[in-house]
Amino acid sequence: MSRDEIKDVILEIIADIDEEADFASLDAEAPLRDQLDLDSMDFLDIVMELRKRYKLQIPEDEYPQLATLTSCVNYLEPKLQNV
Amino acid sequence: MAAYQLLIIGGGLSGIAAGIRAARFGIKTLILEQHSLPGGLNSYYLRQGHLLETGLHAMTNCAPPGAKQAPLNRLFRQLHLSRKQFNFHEQIGSEIRFAGRSLRFTNDPTVLEAEIGRAFPEAIDRFRRLKQLIAAYDPFAVVPWRSARHFLAEHLRQPDLVDMLLLPLMIYGNAEEEDMDLGQFAIMFRAVFEEGFFRPGGTMREFLAHLVQQYLDFGGELRYRAPVAEILVEAGRVIGVRLAGGEVLTGDTVLSTAGIPETMRLSGWPGERDRYIGRMSFMETIALVPRARVATLSQGRTIIFYHQGPVLQYRRPDDYLDPSWGVICFPGNFSGLEPEEPAQIRVTNAASYPRWKALSAEAYGPVKEQWTLAATMASEEIIGNYRPSIVYQDSFTPVTIERFTRKAEGAVYGSGVKIKDGTTPWPNLFLAGTDQGYLGIVGAMLSGITIVNQHILR
Repeated sequence: MSRDEIKDVILEIIADIDEEADFASLDAEAPLRDQLDLDSMDFLDIVMELRKRYKLQIPEDEYPQLATLTSCVNYLEPKLQNV
Repeated sequence: MAAYQLLIIGGGLSGIAAGIRAARFGIKTLILEQHSLPGGLNSYYLRQGHLLETGLHAMTNCAPPGAKQAPLNRLFRQLHLSRKQFNFHEQIGSEIRFAGRSLRFTNDPTVLEAEIGRAFPEAIDRFRRLKQLIAAYDPFAVVPWRSARHFLAEHLRQPDLVDMLLLPLMIYGNAEEEDMDLGQFAIMFRAVFEEGFFRPGGTMREFLAHLVQQYLDFGGELRYRAPVAEILVEAGRVIGVRLAGGEVLTGDTVLSTAGIPETMRLSGWPGERDRYIGRMSFMETIALVPRARVATLSQGRTIIFYHQGPVLQYRRPDDYLDPSWGVICFPGNFSGLEPEEPAQIRVTNAASYPRWKALSAEAYGPVKEQWTLAATMASEEIIGNYRPSIVYQDSFTPVTIERFTRKAEGAVYGSGVKIKDGTTPWPNLFLAGTDQGYLGIVGAMLSGITIVNQHILR
């Protein structure tokens, strides 16, 4: 998957979890949780959805790498190379 | 290889919520419900053409859609339900009525504060400080049991006010007698006094149908009329269940929402089952009365938590029923609800399971009639006379509750001793629902969600 495709997937998953998510002024370098007012359960659901769609196991100690949109894409890019 | 990854015993709110979480993330799940309808403790039945609910199905934690971190909205996100699609009906207002004292409250917390300012002016500052303390308290921290009663007494120094604040929260779902855990109190204080009561749009039947459909849409399976007779164990693990009809179903994990005593019985879980049998059970009387009359009786109140007499005793009564305290509900008094004709009046009082259980088959009917009358008359002292206007009346006792829900001794609030992490002696058998510890409709859903999140989705 390309970086853009990965970014779109993440935003799509977030929009699916939170119907009120507003990406208009989203800063790709700033923490997602603060900008979108997501809680830890929402965050886990993002991880769960990635696991369900791409059979991707994300260990808990790697969650901090999913803090921003850019860091998500950086983290997922090698794992979703062949998707 | 097991037929299912997850078997859920019980298609009530905690079971369905748990099922939605599991199925949503691709876990092959089967819910086994003993009855032909979902809902468990929050269910409904048809009698002589009337749709009657098995309890006052008021939900707590009312919050507007935009309040992202409100427990209700977090719950909706977890279940992947659109909050905007749900039309809620807020309570019009409730009353806590003790002999000579009255406190009204609505979903606006300033109302209760103003009422306390009026009725207990000497304690209002202490009440405000108490609210701040409760707001700062983490109710989910794993700490030993702490007395809510002592906490309130210490901070309010007003015994009547302590009882008046405790009664609605205890009636809403406290399994323990006389007192409640401070953590549970903090959760319920927020749920009832700060966020408030509401009913879902439509009836509980529709709400349940919506939840069940969500579960099925995610690929979950559900079987009705499938009572579980045994949880099967092999080599220190649970391997599945056997239904009453003999059929065996295998599962990698089993989640039981049947309560601790029943789960113990089904699995052969060693231990003192009696320890987990709650002592609080109730008799509930439902009267159908012409709407106009109910309007006069209710005076815009949705729920009245009452206590008449010297000392509040939130405990199993010695007699069949304790009419001195209880709750009177007007299920129609939620804003925006289509008025029903006739309207309902529900009266609930603490009842003694052992007394009811000991009755012979012949004595049961007459005794039930006698106490239905006593409960009705006790409620008339609070709201006024309505017996001559009753179109239809039905009641159920602790024995009825036990028979239909399988909650040992009709303990609708479950065990006084909860198992907060939902674990059992087996690594792949978990508990959710009343005996895990979260109560009420919102609590039950949260319980199912939390246990699946913690033990099955990790």
